[in-house]
Amino acid sequence: MSDAIRFTLNGEETLYNGNPADRLLDVLRETYKLTGVKCGCKEGECGACSVLMDGELINSCMVALGRCEGSNIVTIEGFSKTEHFQVIDKAYAAVSAVQCGYCIPGMVLATEALLVKTPHPTEEEIRTGLSGNLCRCTGYNAIVKAVQIAAKEGDGLW
Amino acid sequence: MVNGYMPLSLKEALELRAAHELVPYGGGTDLMIEGEKDVCYLFVNKIAEMKKIVDDGQYLRIGASCTFTEVLDSPLVPQLMKEAVSRIAAPAIRNAGTMAGNIGNGSAKADSVLIEYVAGAKLRLVSVRGERVVPIEAFYKGRKELDLAKDELIVEILLPRTGLENYFYQKVGARNALAISRLSFAGVLHLEDGVIRDIAVAFGAVANTVLRFRDIEHMLIGKTIAEAKKERAAFIAAYDAAINPTRGRVSAEYRKAVCLNLLRAFLDDKGI
Ligand SMILES: Cc1cc2nc3c(=O)[nH]c(=O)nc-3n(C[C@H](O)[C@H](O)[C@H](O)COP(=O)(O)OP(=O)(O)OC[C@H]3O[C@@H](n4cnc5c(N)ncnc54)[C@H](O)[C@@H]3O)c2cc1C
Ligand code: FES
Ligand code: FES
Repeated sequence: MSDAIRFTLNGEETLYNGNPADRLLDVLRETYKLTGVKCGCKEGECGACSVLMDGELINSCMVALGRCEGSNIVTIEGFSKTEHFQVIDKAYAAVSAVQCGYCIPGMVLATEALLVKTPHPTEEEIRTGLSGNLCRCTGYNAIVKAVQIAAKEGDGLW
Repeated sequence: MVNGYMPLSLKEALELRAAHELVPYGGGTDLMIEGEKDVCYLFVNKIAEMKKIVDDGQYLRIGASCTFTEVLDSPLVPQLMKEAVSRIAAPAIRNAGTMAGNIGNGSAKADSVLIEYVAGAKLRLVSVRGERVVPIEAFYKGRKELDLAKDELIVEILLPRTGLENYFYQKVGARNALAISRLSFAGVLHLEDGVIRDIAVAFGAVANTVLRFRDIEHMLIGKTIAEAKKERAAFIAAYDAAINPTRGRVSAEYRKAVCLNLLRAFLDDKGI
């Protein structure tokens, strides 16, 4: 039996031999070079580091590697290969919901997590779903609009 | 893994906890703020016994490793608890943070703990030596001081099945979804044939622990609403005397004034 931490990362079986107390955010960026995962605060406040863990939105800065044993982790790099991503990406582009882009990997994954749970969200549900993802640039309205478009265009996908 | 454990059964978890110097890890949303590296975690997220929410006829037993999201998704959990939990941070924190972690961080700001106080909840604590059931008020001995032995785990939260229906809940000072409550209040009232059978009031984030004063509550128990109204001023005065806020970012006097206003609003809401 291996002593490494075993998990699935963007669809690939992965073994991590480092310290189980290491921060998932750091390991994703430094060991696996997944730099689409952004670091904004390391305090769980900004959502820039969002990933999907077993399908749920999680702040990777708030996760110790050992917690990932047996889990399925998807970052924006892995998610960008999916059909869901295509729809969300187009919707964000359609309303120019992206400015500097720093928050966007997290926003996109938060959008996915929301639509999986609530395929036809109300505006309030969208704002709640994205409430842990801060954006300094856009004022959120365009992003909310993008989520509405994604829900409409992707009808039946979620 | 080396230097970290993820047991799948409670028995295994307790044996590990007794044999090694381990830090229980629920969702990590408190622990990872520090992000200590020189530590050996006991990951308690995959222990089936700690993930269930069941009604045993006497109590609603909430598994200590249930996340806030799981609590919100359960049809068994009372509305008051859901309202408090739904106001915690944002989805990603609620997907990770656990009920035991909220208790284990020892903070008087913990939103689910306020509800456990007002409900008179108990904690089931288990070790290889056996188990004990401790009322939440006794579990908190002081600021960050818990009645938890080094080999024990919080395994379940035992919530009385009834009595929380008629409630009043407020969380004040939440400027955004992520603000940790500056002050929180929960009151419940149980009336039978117009007589107060039970009343409970708890204040969060004002002192070293959540505050509940059972002796003051007794002033109104057994009284009709009309009789309770006559006691109202004395009741509020008793809280005025009892609440002793710790100094913090917001002045103690201000926080006490807010506490008393919330108490008045609760009494107004219930016609007392
Ligand atoms: C951005 C942000 C916003 C937040 N907002 C709120 C808020 O609005 N309201 C609120 O109440 N909290 C809030 N918190 C705090 C935190 O999310 C909660 O306290 C949460 O419940 C912690 O749970 P956890 O499982 O993540 O704890 P962990 O970090 O895993 O553990 C916390 C403590 O509990 C101990 N512990 C865990 N499980 C057990 C067990 N089974 N037995 C014994 N000890 C155990 C751990 O050893 C540790 O000491 C916030 C945190 C962040 C980062
Ligand atoms: S970097 Fe993780 S929430 Fe900000
Ligand atoms: S686009 Fe710049 S932070 Fe959101």
